[in-house]
Parts: sequence; structure tokens; C-alpha cells
Amino acid sequence: MIPQDFEYSAPTSLEEALALVGGGAKVLAGGMSLIPLMKLRLATPEHLVDIRRVPGLNGIRQAADGIHIGAMTTHYEIESSTVLRAHCPLLAETASHIGDVQVRNVGTIGGSIAHCDPAADYPAALFALESQVRLARAGGERTLGFGDFLVDTFTTALEPGEIVTEVIVPAESSHAGVSYQKMQQPASGFALVGAAVRITRANGGAGFVRVGITGLASKAYRATEVENILESTGDIDKAAAAVADGVEANSDLNASAGYRSQMARVYTARALRAALARTS
Amino acid sequence: MKLAGHYAVPMGRERAYELLQNPGVLARAMPGCDHLALIAPDEYEMRMKMVISSIQGLFAGKVRIADRNWPESFRLIVEGSGKVGFMKGDGVLRLSPADAGTEVRYEGDVQVGGMIASVGQRLLDTTSRFLIRKFFEKLVAEAGGELPQAAPATQA
Repeated sequence: MIPQDFEYSAPTSLEEALALVGGGAKVLAGGMSLIPLMKLRLATPEHLVDIRRVPGLNGIRQAADGIHIGAMTTHYEIESSTVLRAHCPLLAETASHIGDVQVRNVGTIGGSIAHCDPAADYPAALFALESQVRLARAGGERTLGFGDFLVDTFTTALEPGEIVTEVIVPAESSHAGVSYQKMQQPASGFALVGAAVRITRANGGAGFVRVGITGLASKAYRATEVENILESTGDIDKAAAAVADGVEANSDLNASAGYRSQMARVYTARALRAALARTS
Repeated sequence: MKLAGHYAVPMGRERAYELLQNPGVLARAMPGCDHLALIAPDEYEMRMKMVISSIQGLFAGKVRIADRNWPESFRLIVEGSGKVGFMKGDGVLRLSPADAGTEVRYEGDVQVGGMIASVGQRLLDTTSRFLIRKFFEKLVAEAGGELPQAAPATQA
């Protein structure tokens, strides 16, 4: 179908973009979710602000406080970045699982997290990485922990007039092991469940453990229970078994709540094993 | 699609029952509701503007309350339609005394059709539960109570 008429702006400065967004325009940050919705006329924005040409929103740079990834950096750039592959392999690995190669070449990390699909891949990694998100509005900016940014299904802490400018992830120790394991819907590539894990080894077992889960519940979350059990007992199966405890699991045509919860346990255990095997 | 769940509200059962039947309160608690008017005994006309992510849908429909059994249970029948699709829901709400107030259990059947259902299938369950959660949060805020802990979606 052809989208309903809309106005299109492609500003070349952040100030200009923020002024337009502040006036009620919708941000186009790749459009891999928004454009299909517009073509179905489920989304009918009157004004789109394409922020592709805004300088400073693209690229990956290393700084003292971590690796800064511009909001308009594509999934493919993240997947293939030498900086991320060396210092934050979990994010690069996770990006490589998103959609297909066409989507990864156009879709952006800022667009994905602002859209906030409950089955998106990034949130699992961004929880495990304890990442931060920087937001800008006319006349100011703020930085939120990922857990504060992600509020609920399709809901973020973004206020009207705000846009995501960058995501900040920590540079990983070279001894850490990471893994993203995902059970995907074969047609859409969305995660029925996805588990992202970071582990560093201590005394021959798992020392520091971080686990992020996506697709299972109405929003992605950090599975602190799994982390605690693994850190204290070293028992992978026991830790993974706790991943769905107290979680209201999603249910749809592809996977019932019970099946999804079980798959979350299976994929979490796989991710924990794979990550542990990669530690040094 | 079957929908079932429960939510604890920090107020007595009679008060919760009364709030759940108060059109003014319902209108403010239902996500996106901008119009709710009595058109027949126990029957209301409503209009909702749903905004979920980039999707915006205007729905017009009816809400009917039946099988009242004060203060334990009642049946809620909702139907609405708009450009993006239609929905029909029929469910029973049961109120029982709980530790810190009242536990509201809901159980029902929801049918969603049209464009929104054919492309949004994988998200219907999540989104429905999200909207119900928002409804109860607002209901509690309306009652002036503290926001309770929602059914946990995280382990944090």
C-alpha cells in the first residue's frame, strides 16, 4: 500500500532536528519498523524528520567512559566494527542476529531502541552490558541507564521533543566471555526468546555474570536471579532454570507462555555455557 | 485470544467494585479514552485513541456491564472498531479480599481482527496485557492510593 501523505524534512543540524521533533514531527531513524507500518497505514505521521544527515549521530568512538555508538549507526556497522568486535563483542554478535542483511544495512541502533519492540535483539545485550542511553532535547541532554530508558512494551523514557543521540557500552576485559543465543521466528527473525550473557572467570568458575533476556516478557530485563545463582553456586543449569521465575511470559501463535519460558531456560543455559567456554 | 490475569489494588473490595463501575473513573483509567457516555442502563458509548509505538488508532465502540454480583464479580463486554481493525471482548472480573486490599482477577476472551490483527499477531498478547496494566495503574491513581507493584515482569 502507499502511505498517507506526509511532510518530509532532512535537517543537517541537531538543533534543527530537535526543533522539528519538538513541534510534533516523528523521527525517521532508518525506518525498518516505521516504513512498513506507514505502508499499511497503521502509522500515519504527518511529518517525518529524517535524521540521517545530522552530523555527530553516526559512528563508533572509544572514550575513557566506554564506547560511544551514535544513534544512527546501522546494525551492520555495529556487527562489523573492529572496535566493537575487539572491545564489546556481545553487541557486535547481537547486531549480527537482527533481521536480514538489508535490514541491518539500513536499520539503526537508535531507531531500534526508541521503537522498543519487546522482541528486539539489542535490549538483551544492552541489559547485560549495563549500557547507558543519551537523549537530547532543545536546550539540554540527559543520560539514562538502559533499565530506566526502557519502560515497557513499545514505551521508553523518551519525552515528546527528545531524541536518542547515542548508546554507551563498556569496553570489555579481554578475558571476558560473551554469547547471544536466540530462538528466532523463522519469517521475521524476531526473537521468541534471546539471552545475552557476559562472564568473567574467577577461581576456575564464573566470577562476574551479567544476563539480559529479550522476547520472553512484555519488556526485556536483566535476569539478576540467574546472575546471583551462577556467581554463588557455579551451577549453570540451576541458574538458567531461574530465568523465567516471577516473569509473566508472552504467548502468541508461535510460542505459548509455558513453551517460551522453557525455551528461555534452554537458551539461557546455552548462552551461559558458550560464554563461559570463551573466557580466558 | 484468551486473556487472564490478576492485579492487586490497595483498597477495600467495595471501594474497588464501585470504582470499576464509575464511568468517570473508567474514562480516565482506560488508556486513550476520550469519550464515555451512558446510552442505556449499564451501557456506554466510548471513543479511544490508542497510541502504541508508531501506531495510532481511533476506536469507537460500546462497553456493557452485566451479571452484577456486588461486590464479588461482574461481566464486562466491550466492542470497538476503527480504521486499523476491530476488537470484541467479553470477560468476567472477580474481586476478592487480599492482604493489602483487593485482588482483581480477570478472565475473558478477546477477538481482534482487521489489519492490526493480521500484521500485529505476535504483539497482541503483550500489548493487551500492557494496556490492562496501565488501566489498573491509573485506576489506583484515581483512587488516590499508592501505586502497587504490578505483576512482576522483571527480577530486578
